[in-house]
Amino acid sequence: MESRFAVSVQHLGKSYGSVRVLDDITFDVRHGSCVALLGGNGAGKTTTLKCLLGVVPFEGAVEVEGVPTRTRGKDARRNIGYVPQIPAFGEQDTCAAALSFIAELRRVGKERVGWALETANLSAQSAMKVGELSGGMRQRLALAAAALSDPPVLLLDEPASSLDSHSRRDLHEMIGRLRGEGKTIILSTHVLDSLEHLADQVLVLDRGRLAFAGSVGELSARVRGNRFVVNLNGNSPGDFMSALLVAGIPAERVTPAALPWEEMLLAASEPDPAAREERA
Amino acid sequence: MNAVMTIARKEIRDAVSSTWLIAYAVLFTLLALGLSYLGQRNLGSVGFENFSRTTASLLNLCLLLAPLAALTLGSGAIAGDRERGTLTYLLSQPLDRWEVLAGKYLGLAASIALATTLGFGVAGVVIALQTSAMDVGTYVLFLALVIALIVVMTGIGLALSAVSKTRAQALGLAMLVWFVVAFAFDLILIGMVSATSMHGGGLLAALLLNPIEIVRVLAIIQLEPDLQILGPFGSYLMERVGRANATVILSAALLMWMALPVTIASWLFESREA
Repeated sequence: MESRFAVSVQHLGKSYGSVRVLDDITFDVRHGSCVALLGGNGAGKTTTLKCLLGVVPFEGAVEVEGVPTRTRGKDARRNIGYVPQIPAFGEQDTCAAALSFIAELRRVGKERVGWALETANLSAQSAMKVGELSGGMRQRLALAAAALSDPPVLLLDEPASSLDSHSRRDLHEMIGRLRGEGKTIILSTHVLDSLEHLADQVLVLDRGRLAFAGSVGELSARVRGNRFVVNLNGNSPGDFMSALLVAGIPAERVTPAALPWEEMLLAASEPDPAAREERA
Repeated sequence: MNAVMTIARKEIRDAVSSTWLIAYAVLFTLLALGLSYLGQRNLGSVGFENFSRTTASLLNLCLLLAPLAALTLGSGAIAGDRERGTLTYLLSQPLDRWEVLAGKYLGLAASIALATTLGFGVAGVVIALQTSAMDVGTYVLFLALVIALIVVMTGIGLALSAVSKTRAQALGLAMLVWFVVAFAFDLILIGMVSATSMHGGGLLAALLLNPIEIVRVLAIIQLEPDLQILGPFGSYLMERVGRANATVILSAALLMWMALPVTIASWLFESREA
């Protein structure tokens, strides 16, 4: 029997020693939807994904396709494809060998390796070593590996954080295609670029607590008129401002000089309906 | 078991494609050939010694090198993956933790054993062609004992790796363990004997605490049960229980050492964060 939700998280909590990193997180994800997990460094995004995978102990309850990850982690992980923040393949492995290893672990036929290479648009790089791939190619390979066994749920941990805008666009297209195939996708990110095209729902984590749950539009409405200190995570202020505009969250840079170089103060303003229509 | 063998094969493939396995095999070959050649020179004539003498010459050297290789490589297995972020990815697959650990254990131990066998195999063929004496059985028995020691030490390395947050920490612990079991153990024991008047059963128990000492005594008993070179623990064992019983006791202890560290490693790995 199909579960009501693809992913169900109830009162999720997690501490590392005396540090509370997740506190009372509750949310559900519908089948076939795409959820963006937004937050700065240390907000708890990666830890949340590790709890969903059942690879760390946690408090509360997590079910993936109706399977509890705490008690039946191995079974739950059959339903999950995972893309880590940093692709975790051997540098000396060829693309085909890296995928074949995952195919063997997940007990899927070798023919899926060809499918995955094609999906990632890496058929021509089949015999190329992973260490020779560009960052964008590696992330597409990682996404193809996650989808190799055709799991219903994909967890993507900041898949585009280290990519240039061109590679990011390619990756987002691939994520969009997989979503079109009915996959449930949860992706963590601190980059808003193109998010409104992908995400049905946004969850904002702030220091381990769920600060917001709703659509991109609702998030935009919520932040309008407020002022924020934004951690740029190495992105240039110009790129960040562009990304906000593309996402339909216009904002004005207020006092950059008074803050460290990696942070800037933003004032969110009214969205420009004409700009959104033009993009659409 | 499919997943265990898949991970083990991957470990072996990674070892073969890296340089350490080749370097280790070449080092062993050169040492085996060099010791055989130089041993004969010291006796007054230049040429290769036969298998028994070569085996005896290699014993102490192997009891230093094989544990060092197994401990250091074993210590990097889990901690290295944890540091690189690849451990979470492996654990994100539909696997139990024990399958990951068992696969790495088998793969690493097989890789080091393969390199050792290659090194000794090449040296054995060269020595066999140069000498008339063909004590191959002794040579093979010695190789088997060294491989058993590799299995033990890889397990200890994995246990150290499971409790370490970084590869450097695991490597430091591995070097400390190697120093204790290869060098300091005898000194510590002599100190304890002097301080506590330990004898008899205490000495035997102490011998069984060190897998290197177990293999050393077991190898000497099989090769040439000379009380002079058996040392105080081996001599006591031989005099007290005889050669056959000593072999049984030491073999049982070695089997226990093969199972215990990896069992502890598995328990530690289950209870630690990815």
